[in-house]
Amino acid sequence: MIFRTFKKDELKKLVEILAAHNRIVGPVEAGRDKHGSPIYAFNEVSDFNSIRLNYTTTKLPAKRYFLPFQEDLSSFRTEGGGWQKIIDYNADKPLIFFGLHPCDINALNKLDKVLMHSVYPMPYYAAKRKNMFIIGVECIPQTFCFCRSMGADTALHGFDMFITDLGNKYFVEILTDTAYNFLKSIRTEEPEEKDHVLYMKAVAERNKKFTTRVDTTDLAKILDMEFQSDVWKHWGEICLSCGTCSNVCPTCYCYGVEETVDLDLKGARKTKTLHSCNLIDFAEVAGGHNFRPERHSRLKYRYYHKHRGFVEAFEESLCVGCGRCGESCLAGINVPEVIASVRGGKIKK
Amino acid sequence: MKPELKFVDVIAQQQRRHKRKNDLACFEHTFRSEVTSVYPLTEMETIYRIQIIDPEERKRFRFIPGQFLMLELPGIGEAPFSISSSPSIHGEVELCIRKAGNLTNYLAKVGRGAIVGIRGPFGTGFPMEEMHGQNILLIAGGLGLAPLRSPIAYAQENRSHFREVNIIYGTKSPANLLFTYQYDMWSRDDINLHIIVEKADPSWKGAVGLSTDILMKILSGRSDDFYHNTYAIVCGPPVMFKFVCKMLNTFHIPMQKMFVSLERRMHCGMGKCCRCNVGSTYTCIKGPVFDYWTVMNLKEAI
Amino acid sequence: MKTKESDTKTYLGMPLYRPKVGFFEFSSCEGCQLQIVNNESTLLDFLSLVEVVSFREAMTEKSDDYEIAFIEGSITRDDEVKRLKRIRKNAKILVALGSCACFGGVNQLKNRFKNLNWVKKEVYGRHPVDTEPVRAVEDVVKVDLKIYGCPVKKEEVEKSVLHIALGKSIEIPKYPVCMECKANENICLFDLGELCLGPVTRAGCNSWCPNSRAGCWGCRGPADDANVEYMKKIMKEKGFSEEAILERLECFGGFADFLKRKK
Repeated sequence: MIFRTFKKDELKKLVEILAAHNRIVGPVEAGRDKHGSPIYAFNEVSDFNSIRLNYTTTKLPAKRYFLPFQEDLSSFRTEGGGWQKIIDYNADKPLIFFGLHPCDINALNKLDKVLMHSVYPMPYYAAKRKNMFIIGVECIPQTFCFCRSMGADTALHGFDMFITDLGNKYFVEILTDTAYNFLKSIRTEEPEEKDHVLYMKAVAERNKKFTTRVDTTDLAKILDMEFQSDVWKHWGEICLSCGTCSNVCPTCYCYGVEETVDLDLKGARKTKTLHSCNLIDFAEVAGGHNFRPERHSRLKYRYYHKHRGFVEAFEESLCVGCGRCGESCLAGINVPEVIASVRGGKIKK
Repeated sequence: MKPELKFVDVIAQQQRRHKRKNDLACFEHTFRSEVTSVYPLTEMETIYRIQIIDPEERKRFRFIPGQFLMLELPGIGEAPFSISSSPSIHGEVELCIRKAGNLTNYLAKVGRGAIVGIRGPFGTGFPMEEMHGQNILLIAGGLGLAPLRSPIAYAQENRSHFREVNIIYGTKSPANLLFTYQYDMWSRDDINLHIIVEKADPSWKGAVGLSTDILMKILSGRSDDFYHNTYAIVCGPPVMFKFVCKMLNTFHIPMQKMFVSLERRMHCGMGKCCRCNVGSTYTCIKGPVFDYWTVMNLKEAI
Repeated sequence: MKTKESDTKTYLGMPLYRPKVGFFEFSSCEGCQLQIVNNESTLLDFLSLVEVVSFREAMTEKSDDYEIAFIEGSITRDDEVKRLKRIRKNAKILVALGSCACFGGVNQLKNRFKNLNWVKKEVYGRHPVDTEPVRAVEDVVKVDLKIYGCPVKKEEVEKSVLHIALGKSIEIPKYPVCMECKANENICLFDLGELCLGPVTRAGCNSWCPNSRAGCWGCRGPADDANVEYMKKIMKEKGFSEEAILERLECFGGFADFLKRKK
């Protein structure tokens, strides 16, 4: 691993140089909530000043840039009884992601496993993912963050370079030669021993800020044991089945496919739309039978997929502990409480 | 049965392994195909013969009994169907289709000559080669005969590789019987065919009852050697395979030698969309053919 | 408006069913019908799929020879009942178009008043008007298809007609507006301190109102399996008054069943 440091004002220069030739997506302030606190979002940026490097968790993940809510898998030109299928992976330009937090980088790493490194890799995802240059940035843990419990508080790979604030300068970890070459355009220095000390101090300071914990010991097994547990019914009763948890989740990738004929009848398309396992028709089959008609069975399924099925397949959970689902859920359903309740804890009412 | 471990043949296991597809371009690849024959079986079910148009693609297309494919009519819909024909015929498949949705309705309207797309084959199949030298019980309930017809064809074509072959087929009424025109051929190939209906009509002369009634008769009083060397393939609704497999287990046939096919609504067929998941297992990748031990361990399966 | 009989449309070699359709307005603002003619880019394609025999917003001719009748508006007068029943007899498929037809719409708010005569006097003064409690179309005749919304989303109308022509089933989203609102990357209105029925209202509008930072009023009625009871509790906990919540849920009539239960 190669490390460098650079002075704080060099960062602006780097972004400006990169922005001159590339599309950059970064954290911006999308608005203010009713308490006057900023609401952050990932958006395309052209001006360094609009980037909020010290942002807290965005409401929505960066998902739309690699798993858009809706995209055509193929289109068809029809003529008479015949047709031609046209396939487009819907990726045209590379993209620089500036300022992803470790949890969101880990989310990408997890998605890579199922969408790129398992059987039938998905070209629609791969085409976008392979065209992303990622600049990670250290975060300030929030009260709802439990990424540490999920082993997602630090990112070991899945980015090109990673920046940590050392007070008067940045410490940068370089993983790819593209990043190495980009950094040639600004003034960087070899880190000294005192920079290492500062880095370790910064990491230790950050570690102190994690307050929420989830006990994941034997969780896959416990979920199996508690499949019939009544706690699911409690959560099912208050769940709105609105799909928000999936939409704000950086790793939810489930989808549905619909075929539609164009209004002019000259073509058709096959469209993929992200779906949520909490929506009523998720497990509906031809003929109308629904394998999960109750809210609690759908909510339970979501936990099973994240914390059991994915563990079984990839030796790790599909949850990065970013806490977005709990923050966005109007009913207040959140992972730490649900898992604690499954493990026999009391439910706060 | 003696509690004795069996030697595992790693080479035979390897042949069973799911063929990994790692080519990005195969994700949305469709074989342009033509419906070459439409043959009604009952009021509800029709058998469609579908042939891949490109001769090169046709040569390369291979599947194993129990696998499914995705059938597509552009703009109308795409849905999974288990293959009902012999695996020795390449580039051509037969699908037994019940009119149930947009795709099947439109397909019925277009009929012979329709240009359709097929993707696949997907999923696991029945391990026919592992069953060589064994007795096989092929048990179907209702529409379950459609996926079972492929292993039946395999057994017919490779009859010398098997010991006793029994087909047990149960339906609601005689009017629901599928593939009636093939029964003679199966019997001529020394396959014992047992048909039973739940409710007879005036013309029905055969057995009345449940498939487990027949299974009981076949299994009762056999030698240990028979139970030791028997495989079962069970296709039908969950209630049916549950009872059948329970009965098989009372005769000490191991659950790992019973195979069932689960039905779910796949949207992608490739382990991505999660719509067919049972518990948190992809039916399209780990199934649709599972041994019964695995099914017992799946949440939500039965 | 008529296209030639000869150019029968086909799809994948199969001729399409080209139904004769009529649009009929009852007590409404006719805004739903306007939505349909609102889009020039797709209007011609849409009109080539059907033969319009009656459409006041777009033509003067009229005919009773139709297969599909689109009913806009709620039923508030005795003569409307008679007219609706006659249309039902003529039509093979009767479509309730928009919130008024589906649930009574904004019009049904007057049903809240016990004394209808007082309402009549307040609204119409001494002008003689025959008015009854507002009813949804399905409370008078059988409805085959409901297209929700105030106003309807023209894409949904177009898709429905296309599907009828193709013989495809018509699928309307079963899930709530939140799904589309998140897809549109909107800031949750509750974060902004505003009331919104998005979590319980049927999607399909592409979160029309929240897109412009206006809370959902539930014009499309409840989603399948909408958890309205708990949503009421959430809204209350967020500090909204019972009256404000009730006003939302009552506005279009779609949530009537959930209000009755409480009484």
